[in-house]
Amino acid sequence: MKARGEEGLLERVAALLDEPRHAEHPLREALEELYLKYRDQQEQLDRLMNISDRYQALAREAQQVTQQRYERALKRQKKLSRISDRYQALMRERNQTLHQEAHHDALTELPNRRLIDERLAQLDQSGRRYTLALLDIDHFKQVNDEHGHDVGDELLVAITRTMRQGLRDHDLCGRWGGEEFLLLLGDTALDEASRIVERLRARLAQVRVPSGDRWLSVTLSAGLSQHRDGEAYLTTLQRADQALLEAKREGRDRSQLATR
Amino acid sequence: MPAMTMIPDLDIPGSQSTPIIRSDWAAGRLTMQGDSYPENSYDLFDQVIAWVQRFLSDEQRPLALELSLVYLNTSSVKAMMDIFDLLEEAHERGRPVAVTWHYDPRNERIAELAEEFKEDCSYPFAITPAKVNA
Repeated sequence: MKARGEEGLLERVAALLDEPRHAEHPLREALEELYLKYRDQQEQLDRLMNISDRYQALAREAQQVTQQRYERALKRQKKLSRISDRYQALMRERNQTLHQEAHHDALTELPNRRLIDERLAQLDQSGRRYTLALLDIDHFKQVNDEHGHDVGDELLVAITRTMRQGLRDHDLCGRWGGEEFLLLLGDTALDEASRIVERLRARLAQVRVPSGDRWLSVTLSAGLSQHRDGEAYLTTLQRADQALLEAKREGRDRSQLATR
Repeated sequence: MPAMTMIPDLDIPGSQSTPIIRSDWAAGRLTMQGDSYPENSYDLFDQVIAWVQRFLSDEQRPLALELSLVYLNTSSVKAMMDIFDLLEEAHERGRPVAVTWHYDPRNERIAELAEEFKEDCSYPFAITPAKVNA
């Protein structure tokens, strides 16, 4: 790289050195040496810069390749995470669906025995007070026999709907068996539970479902039992079951409180 | 001419956590179906990737992938991306390659996931609802 005007100076020096009348000049030899040395150094400087430039270009190229590779890897990684996350979300949803299906009755969508068992076991551990009520539709077999299972199913769904509306948010109503429902009334003593169940039975007796050109309605019998401190829920349940049996024996369409 | 040393076709029966994997060198076809969350996915997929690489390098015939994959864990997703990349490279060299991803129409989410895989693929990649027998 030469500065502006440098070329002109070099040409002038070269011309001066060439002139025969300067051949014997005392400064000529020193000037010539200086001139050649300068040219040599200039040449070396040029080569050095050339090499340096090429190195720089190589480094730049390498950096670009690395950059491209990095960006590709990053893009791949993002794609991998995105797809993987979506699969995971899919599995989570599937699990939730399975959980829902495993714990609920398909027809009425009420909690099934499994879920109720889990809840009762939790309640036993927490030591909270509760009353259980087993409700059974009177003469349900007859409904199925005379009106068909479709009507029977419709009746179950209608009963379920009314039962849900008649309960408090923290109460749990599950399908215990074919035409049998279990109410779990938390923080509720037997007398209060009895009032709730009587109100509920009255409302349920009003439920009508169509069967041919007729309207069908049913009554329910109930057996209630309050959980006693320290006992397993199965014991409470057995008492409620026994009470229900007595209600049936006494002529149905009534509640029976377990007192023993 | 056919390859001098044939690589054996894959015939992996599949299990609850691994897909059924079958290759057919003569037909130029690789099928995979089922869930894939194997304990060691490298063991499983290395042989699949090796088969695909071998077919693409030894043969000039088209290669078709028939997939009915449902759930994939992360390493299986990565293996599938690797396989699709191999197909993409082959496609760029002018080889006819194609993927058909069959999904159960009751599970549209799988089709959406297949779409994600398809995103960077420039070769034919069909995502089709399978006939349901159930």
